[in-house]
Amino acid sequence: MTTEESKRSSPLAAPHDIGAARLAKVYAQAIVEAADRHQCQSEVVEELTHIVEDVLPRVESLTSVLESPRITTSDKTALVSKTFSGRVSTITLNTLLVLANHERLGLLPELVKALRRELDQQAGRREAVFTTANPITPDEQAAILKSVEESLGESLTAHFSVNPDLLGGLVVRIEDTVYDHSVSTSLVSLAERLKQRSIHEIQHRRDRLGSA
Amino acid sequence: MKFNTDEIASVLREEIDRYQTGIDVREVGQVLEVGDGIARVWGLSGVMAGEMVEFPGGVTGLAFNLEENSVGVIILGDYLKVNEGDEVRSTGKLLSVPVGDAVIGRVLDPLGNPLDGKGPVTTDKRRPVETLAPGVADRQPVREPLQTGIKAIDAMTPIGRGQRELIIGDRKTGKTAIGIDAIINQKHSGVKCFYVAVGQKDSSVAVAIDVLRKHGAMDYTTVIVAGGSTAAPLQYIAPYSGTAMAEEFMYNGEHALIVYDDLSKQATAYRQLSLLMRRPPGREAYPGDVFYAHSRLLERSAKLSDEHGGGSLTSLPIIETLEGEVSAYIPTNVISITDGQIYLQPDLFFAGQRPAMNVGISVSRVGGAAQTKAMKKVSGGLRLDLASFRELEAFAQLGTDLDAATQSRLDRGYCMVELLKQGQYQPLDIVDQVLSIYAGTRGHLDNVKRDEVAAWESGFLTFVRDQAPEVRSRLEETKALDDETERLLEAAIAEYKRQVQGTKKPEPSLAGTN
Repeated sequence: MTTEESKRSSPLAAPHDIGAARLAKVYAQAIVEAADRHQCQSEVVEELTHIVEDVLPRVESLTSVLESPRITTSDKTALVSKTFSGRVSTITLNTLLVLANHERLGLLPELVKALRRELDQQAGRREAVFTTANPITPDEQAAILKSVEESLGESLTAHFSVNPDLLGGLVVRIEDTVYDHSVSTSLVSLAERLKQRSIHEIQHRRDRLGSA
Repeated sequence: MKFNTDEIASVLREEIDRYQTGIDVREVGQVLEVGDGIARVWGLSGVMAGEMVEFPGGVTGLAFNLEENSVGVIILGDYLKVNEGDEVRSTGKLLSVPVGDAVIGRVLDPLGNPLDGKGPVTTDKRRPVETLAPGVADRQPVREPLQTGIKAIDAMTPIGRGQRELIIGDRKTGKTAIGIDAIINQKHSGVKCFYVAVGQKDSSVAVAIDVLRKHGAMDYTTVIVAGGSTAAPLQYIAPYSGTAMAEEFMYNGEHALIVYDDLSKQATAYRQLSLLMRRPPGREAYPGDVFYAHSRLLERSAKLSDEHGGGSLTSLPIIETLEGEVSAYIPTNVISITDGQIYLQPDLFFAGQRPAMNVGISVSRVGGAAQTKAMKKVSGGLRLDLASFRELEAFAQLGTDLDAATQSRLDRGYCMVELLKQGQYQPLDIVDQVLSIYAGTRGHLDNVKRDEVAAWESGFLTFVRDQAPEVRSRLEETKALDDETERLLEAAIAEYKRQVQGTKKPEPSLAGTN
C-alpha cells in the first residue's frame, strides 16, 4: 500500500469528494430520524452496509448502472424496487427509492460512512485511530482503549493501524486532535530544541563559546 | 571566529539530560488541494481565523477562509513543497515577526527572515503581524513635524509625526524618490525608518537599498521586501509585518516612519488571493473588504498620547495610478483613508519640475499644525499663489498682451517654480529651506534669470553658512522668524546680492578687442 493510499484509507482521512460527503450527511440525518420513528435504526444501517459492502462489489457494473446519467430515473427506480422489494425492510427500500428518484444512488458508499458517523454522534461516541510502530495484540488494544477512554471520560470507536516510521510509542487521533507520544516526534522535537539552544548560546554568549 | 566545541558539547549534554518527553497534542487537517499559493484543508475543525498553521517541511500558512467543510489556507513560503494529502497542524498562535533594534539595518522578507546574508536576526522580541490600531483615547493630535527635506513638501504639504500622507501618481513620476528622500533626511532626527517594497522589480529594490546604503541611511532603516516574483500571500502580508516592526518603536516612545511602496500592488495580490479563495468579486474585481485591508493598516499609524510615551508612526503609502485616473477604486479608497496626498504628474515631471508635485490638488490635512513657525511664516500663501499662477500661466499662453502687474505675478510664479525644483537624494535642512523660500516669496529673486535661480540659491545658502552664521543659529534655536532675525536676514541677502553683482564680469565687448 502506498503512502497516498494509506492516507486515504484511514477512517479519519478526508473524503474523496467533499460535496458528496456533505450531501451524504444530510441524507444520513434524515434516514436516522425516519428509522428512529420506526425503531429500526440498526436494521436499516446493517442492510445498507450489507448492500454497499457485499452486493455492490459482487455484481459487476452495478455501480456504473446506478451512477450512469444515461439510464433514466424511472428505469433505476424499477430496478431498485424489483431487486430489493420484499428482501429488505420498508425503510431501507424507501431510502433506496428516494435516492433513485433524486439521482443519488452513487452516493451509497459515502452514505454508509455518514450513517455510522451519525449514529456514533448520537451515542456520544467519537472515532479514534490508534497508531503504533509494531502490531499489538487484541488484549493490549483493549487495555489501551480502556485507559484512553477513562482518561478522556468518553467512549470511542477504535481503529488500530501500524506505522513503522513511528519507531515506538503511540499516536492517538480522535477526530481532528492528535495526541502524539511517539519516539519519532520526540526525536524531532529534541533535535529542534538542541538546535535552538545551540543557536541561543552562540548568539548570547559569544565570549564564552568563541575564541577569535 | 572559531567555536569552542567542548563548551557546545556540554550545553547539548545538559539539554539532553534535562529533556523530558511529553505528549505532543495538536489539531490536524489534511490538504485536499494546493496551488497558486493557497491550499484547501479538510479537518482543523477548531482553527481560528488568521491562525498560523504548519505544513510538513516547516512551511507556514494562515487560515484565511473558514468554510463549512474545509479551511482555505494561504501559504507563506514555498507552496511547491506542499502536497495533496499532507498533514496540516494548527499552532494556536498568530503570525508574528521579530522586532526591536535587531531588525534595524537589515533587509528582511515579510516573515522576518533575513535576505541580506548577514546572519539570523538575533532577538527574542516578536510582535503579531495583525494588531488593533490604538484607540481614540490613546492618541493625541499631530504636532511635531516630520521633515522630508523636500522644499515643495515641507513648505506646502507639511507632514507631521503620526500622519498618513499618500504619495500618488502615474508610473515614473518620482513617487519612490520622495519616500527615499524622506528616509535619507531622517539621518539626524532619530526617526527609525521602514521601507516596505511590495510587488516591485527586484532590480529597483536593489537600487533603492544601494542608495540608502550610500547615504548612510541603512544605519536606521529596515527594508522589507516582497518582490514581484514572491507569491501573493507574502505580498499581501508585507505591509502588515513592516508595520508591526515599526510599531515596536512607536509603543516604546520613539518615532518611526514607514513607506509602503506600493499599496496598489498589495491590493492586486489581495485580489488574487480572494479570487482564488472564491470570495465574491466586487468593483474592479477587488473583494468587498479591500477598503478594510487598507484602513486597518493605515489606522495603525498614530501619534500616541504622552501617557503612552508619546511615540509616533508616520506612514507614506504610495499608490500608482493609471493614466492619472485618481477616481479608480483603490486610489479613491486610500485618498479617503489618508490625511492628505501628494499628487505627482507626468507632464510636470517631463517639463523638468522635479518633484513633479501638482500643488493645486496636493493637500495635507493635519500637517500644518506641525510646521515650524518660521516655515509657516515664509510659506503662508505659497500654495495658493502657485495654484493661481498655474491658472494665469494657462491664460497667458493665449498670447494676449499682459499688464505689468500680471506679468510680475507670472515672473514671480516662474521664479518660485524654479526655486522649488530639487535634485534627487539631496534633502535640504529645514533652516536652508526657510532661507531660500524667504528669498523667493519676498521677491529677492525677481531679477534673477530663470536658469540662474538654482545657482543663486546654492550660492546664497553657502553665503549664509559662511558669512552670516548668526541668522542660521537664531533660526535653529528659536525655529521662528522674529523681527530681529528677519532684519539680519534682509541684511544678509542685500550683502549677498552686492557680492554677486561684484563678481559678475561685464560681457566682453567686440569693440574693446580691436
